[in-house]
Amino acid sequence: MARIAVCWGMLVLLLAAELAAARLGSGIGVGVLAVLMVLVIVLGFMQILRAPPLAIIFALGGLFWLTILLALGSLDSFTRTTVPVHAAALPGPTAE
Amino acid sequence: MSDGSALDHHSPYETPLHRDETAVAGMWLFLASEALLFGGLFLVCLIYSHTRAGGWAEGVRHTNLSIGAANTLILITSSAVYTMAVEAGKRGDNRRVVRAGLGAAVLGLTFLALKGVEWGQEFRENLFPGPHFALHGPDTGGAQLFYSFYFLATFLHGMHMVVGIGLILWICRKARHRAFSAAWNTPVDIVGLYWSFVDLVWMLLFPLLYLIGRA
Amino acid sequence: MSGTLDPSAPQRSYLWQDGTLRSWLLTRDHKRIALLYLGSITAFFALGSVGAALVRLQLLEPTGTILSDATYNRMFTMHGVVMVWLFLVPSIPVTLGNFLVPLMLGARDLAFPRLNLLSWYLFVASGLLVVYGLFRGGLETGWTFYTPLSSEYTEGRVLPVVLGVFLNGFSSIATGVNFIVSIHQLRAPGMGWYRLPLMLWALYATSVIFVLATPVLGITLLLLAFEHLFRVGVFDPSLGGDPLLFQQLFWFYSHPAVYIMILPGMGVVSEIVSTFCHKPVFGYRFVAWSSVSIAAIGFVVWGHHMFVAGTSLYSAIVFSMFSFFVSVPSAIKVFNWLGTMHGGSIRLDAPMLYAMGFIGLFTVGGLTGLFLASLAADVHLTQTYFVVAHFHYIMVGGMVSAYFGGLHYWWPKITGRMYPETWGRLAAGLIFFGFNLTFLPQFILGFEGMPRRYATYPAQFQVLNVLSSAGAGILAVAYALPLVYFTWSLFRGARAPDNPWRATGLEWRTASPPPVENFAETPVVTTYAYDYAELDGRAGPPGTAVGGPHV
Ligand code: HEM
Ligand SMILES: [Cu+2]
Repeated sequence: MARIAVCWGMLVLLLAAELAAARLGSGIGVGVLAVLMVLVIVLGFMQILRAPPLAIIFALGGLFWLTILLALGSLDSFTRTTVPVHAAALPGPTAE
Repeated sequence: MSDGSALDHHSPYETPLHRDETAVAGMWLFLASEALLFGGLFLVCLIYSHTRAGGWAEGVRHTNLSIGAANTLILITSSAVYTMAVEAGKRGDNRRVVRAGLGAAVLGLTFLALKGVEWGQEFRENLFPGPHFALHGPDTGGAQLFYSFYFLATFLHGMHMVVGIGLILWICRKARHRAFSAAWNTPVDIVGLYWSFVDLVWMLLFPLLYLIGRA
Repeated sequence: MSGTLDPSAPQRSYLWQDGTLRSWLLTRDHKRIALLYLGSITAFFALGSVGAALVRLQLLEPTGTILSDATYNRMFTMHGVVMVWLFLVPSIPVTLGNFLVPLMLGARDLAFPRLNLLSWYLFVASGLLVVYGLFRGGLETGWTFYTPLSSEYTEGRVLPVVLGVFLNGFSSIATGVNFIVSIHQLRAPGMGWYRLPLMLWALYATSVIFVLATPVLGITLLLLAFEHLFRVGVFDPSLGGDPLLFQQLFWFYSHPAVYIMILPGMGVVSEIVSTFCHKPVFGYRFVAWSSVSIAAIGFVVWGHHMFVAGTSLYSAIVFSMFSFFVSVPSAIKVFNWLGTMHGGSIRLDAPMLYAMGFIGLFTVGGLTGLFLASLAADVHLTQTYFVVAHFHYIMVGGMVSAYFGGLHYWWPKITGRMYPETWGRLAAGLIFFGFNLTFLPQFILGFEGMPRRYATYPAQFQVLNVLSSAGAGILAVAYALPLVYFTWSLFRGARAPDNPWRATGLEWRTASPPPVENFAETPVVTTYAYDYAELDGRAGPPGTAVGGPHV
């Protein structure tokens, strides 16, 4: 019970901090806080550390593959030079 | 995953503990798969929020922050309440499982109702992408891409909520028939994993849809 | 059949314990589910073959013979979609895999039997949706569904097909979850990881791809359906969206998926080669880990499908490099199979013929993959018949051969009947011949510049196209043969002993066909996977089995 209440309280505080960071315009801050919230849920509510070891392996595997998807998937867009992908490089403000 | 704690004749397991751990591990594997389902959406967001930063941020500024934040709070609470059902399940306290489960389900429905209100507003304000799209800023294309992402992401998350609520109600029904005991409560646990995962996804969607780029 | 009639038989075979339709449709027995799948994917294989036949008929003449351009496009799409998702991706895992995973583990069933049945129903539903879309309107995008063709310009039925493939993905995921968890949790006492048959390593690796790549296909198709249905932009360049993003997401799934379409075949070949050489697989650990590394590296090469699409040079270089890496574990496998055969007393029964066909054809396909992975060569070869030949060598020459080899190899176990050996060898030979006649000319055609996916072609390519179509005709007959003699053998085939090939592996230690609960008592594993010395010790001196060894 106490564990649940503490986790809930932490999540609420983190949410408040997130809103504050957003007001300050700190995208990074929001991102970090969001990751912390995810951690609270995974550790506090889902209790991954008390699950069978296999569960941890599966979760880490999922995370690893997610990283591959995001990293290699965005590689092209972020380094493309042949065809412009940025808004600024488009011919007009409202390219048809 | 047969009913009750006894192993039936054809069960592939040696002991009930073996069966229950397997079920929990299986759920985690399924959640890893789900993470990649949403991962595709996150890739879309990652790319467009950079290549079309202006229009994207304009889109973010037009989402309804009060509803979004309220919903986040509701979902956090719902997940916490359901975790109480998991704890009750571990003690074999069926009555509490029902109560906490219903509480979590009602909160989930509230989330969906608020989401519905929000969608309604957005449709009325012509924020659904298309020829009549409302935002005519310098990068209306980027804003439209944002709203495509917004509607699909909230739709997909909403579908997961619906499934989750269904599962919770199923648990409540079982608990009303005193199905769970200290020896056997894996379904309560597994549905909890799913429900927390749905919560977790929202913890990532909320900043992406409402916060980053807002100020 | 014998089980129920013979009162002295201790257990009932899974096949005849209860013959009602209901008992089949609601079964949770992995062996029966395997047969349900076998029936369904055979039907889809036939359907996909009709598409291929029409395509090859059309290409007999430079101006086309029977189809309009639009129908031609619909036919190659039908062929591709049906063959990839309704036949080849499920093929070995859902039939042989479903049947064998618990048997090889020494378990009574898969970890989640109900999920297994659900996966079959999802598969059938997805198949019906896809077929509905393909026949009520059709689709002209090819199996790759590239945007904006599929979202804006198509005149076909995108939605049912795409949603069907989406559903299909969940059936794959269910199978993958089941296999991974079963292999972790349900190994018989004494069955350590390095005592697993290599088939299970291969299926494990395949399942990793099922579970982690398929959801990305799901979301990709959902984005596509969303864009198409509501006419909103997701990949739409006129809004500043990026059509290449679709390709990124699509190939994030589909390149790993081509390994779904080969890894199980490698597993089957490992089993067959070892058995018919009566020797342990050379370099067991290398073969085992090469499956895992193929699955892992296979996730980081997808960009090689987009070299000329306008992606950045950096991304192209990275993906080209990884593509070269991925061929290393594939080569390890080939050399290890050859090492196993070296000096073995090889029996050339039908399964072994298929396995040898696999090794040769897969090697050709893999090597030509390296041509395509080289940036400079790909600029010339991409979108030509060279690519078509490349992947057919692997997917048809390799995987379909392995599938047939596996069916022959385990047929006695599955049905309790032997297939007619002479016919088996004849079909294997014919398939090998017909296959090469069909696809070898396509390498040349592609090299000379004939583009793929056109209903017509310049007259100078006709000779090679006619050869290719002739090969397709032979192939059609060759694939029909097993259908006939397998059916025949169900009723007239000789009764199979428990271990007709003198193979190791737990599946051969139970009855043919196995009883409902697989094993009379849970087997205990005391040796590594291919311990023929122990087997021969148990079974009497070597050479007593059917068809003595010959080199
Ligand atoms: C040795 C490893 C392999 C390498 C380096 C490789 C490389 C390539 C490359 C570079 C392409 C793109 C050609 C182009 O479109 O210009 C390609 C296409 C293709 N490959 Fe492979 N490949 C390999 C193995 C496989 C395997 C094992 C399969 C299937 C079981 C496969 C199936 C395909 C398919 C289906 C396509 C064409 C997709 C399409 O555009 O429709 N490849 N391969
Ligand atoms: Cu590829």
